[in-house]
Amino acid sequence: MRLARAVGFRLLYGLLSLIFITFVTFVANEAAPADPAVIFAGEKASLADVQLIRHRMGLDRPWYVRYGESLWKDAHLDFGNSYYGTQEPVGEILKRDVPLTLRVSLLAILLASAIGIFLGTLAAVYENRFVDRSVLTLSTLGVTLPNFVLAPLLVYVFALRLNYLPQNWEVTRVAPDFFYLLLPVVILAARPMAMLTRLTRASMVDTMRQEFVRMAIAKGVPTFRVIVRHSLRNAILPVITSIGTSFGYLLTGSFVIETIFTLPGIGRETIEAIQARDYPIVQACILVTGMMFVILNMLVDMILPILDPRIREAQV
Amino acid sequence: MKKRKDPFMVAGLIYLGLLLIFAIVWPMLRYHYDQSVGRPFEPPNGKFWLGTDELGRDVLVRVAYGARVSLFVGFVVQAISLTLGVLVGVLGIYSKKWIATPLMRFTDGMFAFPDILLAILIIAIWKAGVIPVIVALAVTAWPAYARLVYTQVATLKDREFAVAAKAAGGSTFYVVTRHILPQLWLILFAVSMVEIAATILAESTLSFLGIGVQPPMPSWGIMIEVARENMNSHPELLLPPCIALSVTIFALNFAGDGLRAYFDPKTR
Repeated sequence: MRLARAVGFRLLYGLLSLIFITFVTFVANEAAPADPAVIFAGEKASLADVQLIRHRMGLDRPWYVRYGESLWKDAHLDFGNSYYGTQEPVGEILKRDVPLTLRVSLLAILLASAIGIFLGTLAAVYENRFVDRSVLTLSTLGVTLPNFVLAPLLVYVFALRLNYLPQNWEVTRVAPDFFYLLLPVVILAARPMAMLTRLTRASMVDTMRQEFVRMAIAKGVPTFRVIVRHSLRNAILPVITSIGTSFGYLLTGSFVIETIFTLPGIGRETIEAIQARDYPIVQACILVTGMMFVILNMLVDMILPILDPRIREAQV
Repeated sequence: MKKRKDPFMVAGLIYLGLLLIFAIVWPMLRYHYDQSVGRPFEPPNGKFWLGTDELGRDVLVRVAYGARVSLFVGFVVQAISLTLGVLVGVLGIYSKKWIATPLMRFTDGMFAFPDILLAILIIAIWKAGVIPVIVALAVTAWPAYARLVYTQVATLKDREFAVAAKAAGGSTFYVVTRHILPQLWLILFAVSMVEIAATILAESTLSFLGIGVQPPMPSWGIMIEVARENMNSHPELLLPPCIALSVTIFALNFAGDGLRAYFDPKTR
């Protein structure tokens, strides 16, 4: 029952965040220096035609009515049409772009979590020894090196010099997708991986100093079991919370990575739409990206009480 | 007992000092950043210490100008968001409840939005350029300060010295500006170093994506993007901007983290 309430509150908070995001993007769209009525009326339209189209599109109604309507439409994944070209519905564009971005980011977050938790645990077990020092140095590098510095360097080594991997995503791909996605995923994962490593290490070092761990060692529990079952299980909670937060870094990264590797995802779509001043696409892309961030964070937070009985009890 | 200074912090601070001098002085000594002064893709030589780029422009001068742009954007953005953050944080504690509560809820709301998304949104509806980048990054950077100041002031305001100053007849404004905020300046200074690193990174990311600083103004992000396009023939042009950017971010992080530990009364 308590769990249900805790989950309910988290859902409510997530819903408020989503509404905040829709409101911000709505305000941004209002502020954009482009009048959709003028654009859809075409260049030769007279002032009266523009007025008629504005009325037909419902743009002459007060802002709160239009905001309500935009919420309704967002909920039905109706984001209007692109301003230019064939005036394709934005929903269709998103349907095409989102899967690849999700695929790359989820692969990256899985890679980052697996390696980050492993290296962090390793560093904590060998605290202040050579393994620990090298892991810390590596993770400092990973946190501070910008991904658009890392990417060209790795592309130079693995694609240009060694010729092991393709340089760009191509429409006609000759190799399995794995080869095309390897570099993007690794580069995207680098920063969250480094952050999760540091956090796991810090959390593990704290946990392993506690009495129940010393107790477990003293009563002769095998070392591996002490590390995994007794320490890691306790230490991993803050790490899981930050997996959600680091998804934000991944989204930032996906703008850069998709541009560098010409991946047809939502990040590249956003940048191209900004340069083309195609506001409906920009608005929808930012909205959907923000929503993915909020929803993923929400899911991660809801895993916590399932993993940890203490949180389950405390959240009344 | 005098505390040992962290060598990384000292190295970071020295590098930042040198970078600042380099960014100010070097462009004064050499020609304009946007003129073709040599042949394209000249290797490093006596005249052009780092060679020339695809248009025959002096790479070292462009790195110096890029440093100017990055440091300028970093300082201005952090100055604005520091001011805003302190203001919001203090108001969150001392103002009437009907102001403070919505203000802090709004601050919380800002964390729901990934920073770079909001910055990109602002630039998308305005335009690309230095001023929009500064505004967009300042708008996304202040909530972190507001939260820090809020929690710090919340604990400091009930300490003896603050209560004493109040009891001696000091107004709230006097207590805050003379007794509470001075306790925070050092820690805020250290935090702002790390935040400047984040701002410089964000600026060069936006410039790299083509929606930040616009050419002909040089920026490390633009230089990396252009060098990447010429990577097949002249990969060596990637090195100067990449190294300048990475080392600067390193230095700011080391200096900021080091100063934070150094100023922290708990470890002193």
